[in-house]
Amino acid sequence: MEASSPTDLSVSDPQLQHFIEVETQKQRFQQLVHQMTELCWEKCMDKPGPKLDSRAETCFVNCVERFIDTSQFILNRLEQTQKSKSAFSESLTD
Amino acid sequence: MAEPDSGERAVSELRELVAAEQKRAQFTAQVHDFMEVCWDKCVDKPGSKLDHRTESCLASCVDRFIDTTLSITQRFSQLLQKAGH
Repeated sequence: MEASSPTDLSVSDPQLQHFIEVETQKQRFQQLVHQMTELCWEKCMDKPGPKLDSRAETCFVNCVERFIDTSQFILNRLEQTQKSKSAFSESLTD
Repeated sequence: MAEPDSGERAVSELRELVAAEQKRAQFTAQVHDFMEVCWDKCVDKPGSKLDHRTESCLASCVDRFIDTTLSITQRFSQLLQKAGH
C-alpha cells in the first residue's frame, strides 16, 4: 500500500474517517441529550403527574434554549478572561 | 521509503495537531465545568430568555470561580513549599 505523501496524516480510508466522524458526533449528541435531560428534569419537574403537562413542556423548551444561551455566555466570558489574564489559564489548565 | 527529514516534519506536525486538539478539548471541558456550577447557582426556572439578573449572576459566577481556584492553588502551593523544605 502506498502512502500519498509522508506528510499526509489523514486516515488513508476516507470511508473509515467518515464513519468515525459520524459516530463521534452521535456520541457527543447523546451525551448532550443526557446532560440536558438531567439538568432540565431537576429544574422543571416537580412531582411527576399522570402526564407531561404543558407547563412542564414549556419549561423544558425554555430550559434547552437557556442552556445553550448559558453555554455560549460562559464561553464568551472565558475567552474574554483568557485574553486579559494569562495567569488564569496557567493555573486552571494544569 | 520516506526521507528522514520529511518523517520528522510529519511527527512535529502531528504533535502540533494533537496539542491544538488537546487545548480545544481542555477549553471545552472548562466550559462544561463552569456550566455545571453556574447553571445551578444562577438559573432557577428557565425563562423565555436570559434576563439581566441571570447574566450578571453568570458573569460573577465565572469570575468568582476563577478567583477561588487561583486562591486555592496559591494556598496549596504555599503549603507544599513549606512541607518540602
